[in-house]
Amino acid sequence: MSGIRDIPSDLLSEFEAARRRPLAQRWRYAFLKTYKPVLDDASFRSFDTMEEYRQWCERALPPWLGYGRSL
Amino acid sequence: MAGAFEYRQAEEIRDAFVRRGVRYLFLGKSGMILLGFPDTTQDADVYVEKSPENGQAIVRALVDIGFTLADVEAQEIIHGKDFVQLKNGPFDLDLVFAPDGIERFADAWSRRVTVEGFEVCHPDDIIASKVAANRVKDRESLGRLRLFRDYWVATRLG
Repeated sequence: MSGIRDIPSDLLSEFEAARRRPLAQRWRYAFLKTYKPVLDDASFRSFDTMEEYRQWCERALPPWLGYGRSL
Repeated sequence: MAGAFEYRQAEEIRDAFVRRGVRYLFLGKSGMILLGFPDTTQDADVYVEKSPENGQAIVRALVDIGFTLADVEAQEIIHGKDFVQLKNGPFDLDLVFAPDGIERFADAWSRRVTVEGFEVCHPDDIIASKVAANRVKDRESLGRLRLFRDYWVATRLG
């Protein structure tokens, strides 16, 4: 673990600014919604194991969504 | 398609989980955002204890706030899948019963952080789960997450 002095100044400024914002505002800035192909096309999915879910992500989702382990 | 997860809805699920006695922890980037991490996300991941009792409480809480669950879907939550993806409610929600990189719910619970009533995984657990998952999008965010963890620890103690 590094110390606070190792954090680049631009990133530190972002962290400090976020810390000053109320939680509701941080939340509003953070959550967005865009359509994700395949992933958003079913209302419910379940998987017996996480590994099964990871394999489904690799197999079924467009790689550019970033849910796979490689592009 | 549900819209973005609004703060009002986050308060609703927090309150419903408390009312129904759900054992839960926000995980993933949504957990880090609760801790103060400035970034964007589309997903809310909740680590929930895997037990029939907790599963029943989860189902009741979700129905309370407007999720539509068929009987078979409710049973899958109650009887222990590792991962459930819900897009049948007012916002999208992932229920994670066995996250990569975290051995036991009780351990994560003992390390949890409470933020305005929200129960949140410790940043070390969030980072451990992302390291273990090793997805492209996790690897891209890990550097910033680790620096934020250092900032969070330093400012929390200071």
